[in-house]
Parts: sequence; C-alpha cells; structure tokens
Amino acid sequence: MVSQDDLYREAADGYGSSLDRLARAYEADPETRRDLLQDIHLQLWRSFAHFDRRCSLRTWVYRVAHNVATGHVVRQRRLRTSLVGIEEIESLPSKERNEFAAGQNQALERLSGLIQQLKPLDRQIIISYLEGMDANSTAEITGLSAANVAMKVHRIKNVLKRWFHEGGPNAG
Amino acid sequence: MPDEFPMHDPQKIWQDQPTEAIKMSLDEIRRRARKLQTRGRLAALLTIVIGLVLCVFFALTAAKPQELVGRIGWGMLSLWGLYAAYQAYKWTWPGTLPADATLSTSLGFYRGELERRHDYARHVWRRAGLTFCFAGLALVILPALIGAFRTPRLLLNVAPLFVLLVIWFVVFFSMRRRNQRKLQREIDELKFLEEENRS
Repeated sequence: MVSQDDLYREAADGYGSSLDRLARAYEADPETRRDLLQDIHLQLWRSFAHFDRRCSLRTWVYRVAHNVATGHVVRQRRLRTSLVGIEEIESLPSKERNEFAAGQNQALERLSGLIQQLKPLDRQIIISYLEGMDANSTAEITGLSAANVAMKVHRIKNVLKRWFHEGGPNAG
Repeated sequence: MPDEFPMHDPQKIWQDQPTEAIKMSLDEIRRRARKLQTRGRLAALLTIVIGLVLCVFFALTAAKPQELVGRIGWGMLSLWGLYAAYQAYKWTWPGTLPADATLSTSLGFYRGELERRHDYARHVWRRAGLTFCFAGLALVILPALIGAFRTPRLLLNVAPLFVLLVIWFVVFFSMRRRNQRKLQREIDELKFLEEENRS
C-alpha cells in the first residue's frame, strides 16, 4: 500500500508546476501567493491520509488545490472588488481588451489579471482549460456536467480569442 | 483564419510561464503544519485572553460601590467578555481542512463555503454577543443620561455620539442585508447548477 508521504511526493513531483500556476490564478500578491501555495501543499499532504483511489491522483490534487484556493478567495472576498462570471467578462469594453497587446510577459500578466477577476467556479474552468484538460476531466473536478463545462470553455475560448486577437499584433 | 491563435496562444503562454514549484521536504511540511497550528492557536489564545481580561475588568468595576443599574450594566459587560472569549475559542481555534474539501467537488465545496459565510453573517449579532454588549452599555450610561436630562447642555454634548451610533446601526444593517442578498443569489445559482447536473 502506498503511504501518505509517497503519494504526496508523487503529486508534488507530477503537479508542482501546475500548482504554482494555479496559485498564481488565485492570488496576485507574491507574498500571499507563496503562503497560499504552501497551504495547498500542506493540505494536500494531509488529504492523502484519506485518499481512496476512487478518482485519479490528478483529479484529487486539483480538487484539493482548487478547494483550498477557493476557501482563500471566499475568506479574502470582503477585501476585494466583486468577482464576475465569464459572461460579464465577455461584455467588457474593447478599450480594455486592447490593452492586452504586446509581449508575452505582459500577456501573461493580463491573462492572470483576467482570471483573478472571475468567480471561483469559472476560474477553475479557465485554469483547467489553460492546463490543457478536456471537458470530462474538468467536470470530474468541478462537479459540473461535461456539457456545461464544454459550453463554458467555448465562451472562455471566445473571450480569450478576442482579447488576444483584437489587442494583439495581428489586430486590424 | 486558423481556429487557434498561434501568435498568442493563451494555453502556451499559461503553461510556459516561469514557475518556482516549491519543493518542500516531508520534514519541512510537518514542521510547517506544526508551526501553522501553533500560530493559529496563539492568535486564538490572544483573542480569548482579551475576552477574559475584559470580563475580569468589567466584573471588578461592577463590584465597586455604585448604583444598582450601573452594577447590572457592568455585570452584563463582564458576561459579554466571557461570551466573547468562548466564541473566540469556538470560531478561531485552528482546525484542519474541512472534511468536505477532499470529498466534494469544487462546485459543492464552493457552495458550502458560501453557505457557511452566509450563515455566519446571519448570526453575527448573536455570535458576537452584541445583545449583552449593548444592553450592558445602555445600563452603564443610563444613570448618566438621566442626570443629563436635568442639564440639557450636557445632553447636547453627547448627542453627536448617539447620532453616530444610529448611523452606524443603519449602515451596518443595510450593508449586511445587501451582502446577504448577494451571497444568497450566488448560492441559489450554484444550487441550480447542481440540480441541473443531477437531472
């Protein structure tokens, strides 16, 4: 039987970078982000005491990480401006979208900024999409139906396409 | 036009970002777990101690010779200090990750967190023991207030304080109601999604 420590090691080796990116999507401040990431690792290690292999290791890791980060967002909520859904992002004025232009780093900053405005559930879907997961895997993590996830991903793709194209070097 | 966006592929940009994937040894994790728990306990202890100190201070004040109404007021404030200490223990003592954090889907967990927050805000008055606090304060200042009626000038001096108190009450309750409505709307949306997924 695989021990809690072994499971954690496997998860940290396999998904360490993904967890770092996930923390970035939930917290803009680098110091707080580091704390959040450490908390995710800590809770992940603790969670493996109950891992029963009813789902894959990847699903478990993302589920715990998203839930810890969501708890963080809910606790911090009063300190921040209100969060929006992907539907509201779709209707942002184009001026703001055009600021999406230029280099890779800036694009990454803007992308992170866009994600951090979203409600946790939409945030989880966009992160899963950016991490390259399919609708079924995302549905397993979030608890939404695959059809619902696919619809949201379609919306997210459209939003990203507009943000990247209209403001990008190919615009016009 | 291509289906994807080669110049600025968001997935590529996202996945290629530099990461500093933290490598924590298991010993480090255990050490941090202990440290986190100690830190949480110290913060909770501080709040409990403050509540107890207030309780003792108000009780000592109540024991001083004075009018009966004032004594009851200080006594109530002392009870409030004790109650606040108990609530601090109940709500701020560090626990572990909620059990449903590993078992529930993100949708269920998020709804649960919002419901907890909604529930907490709904009962904030009772949980903060504000009835004890305000009743005690009212009884403490009542004799002074009655005395002030005989000297209207004194009453005018304290009037701004009462006006501020009323404004605070109005703002506090209207903001609370607005936040509660917002939370409830979001909870309902999530419940609807859950039901939709079940059917």
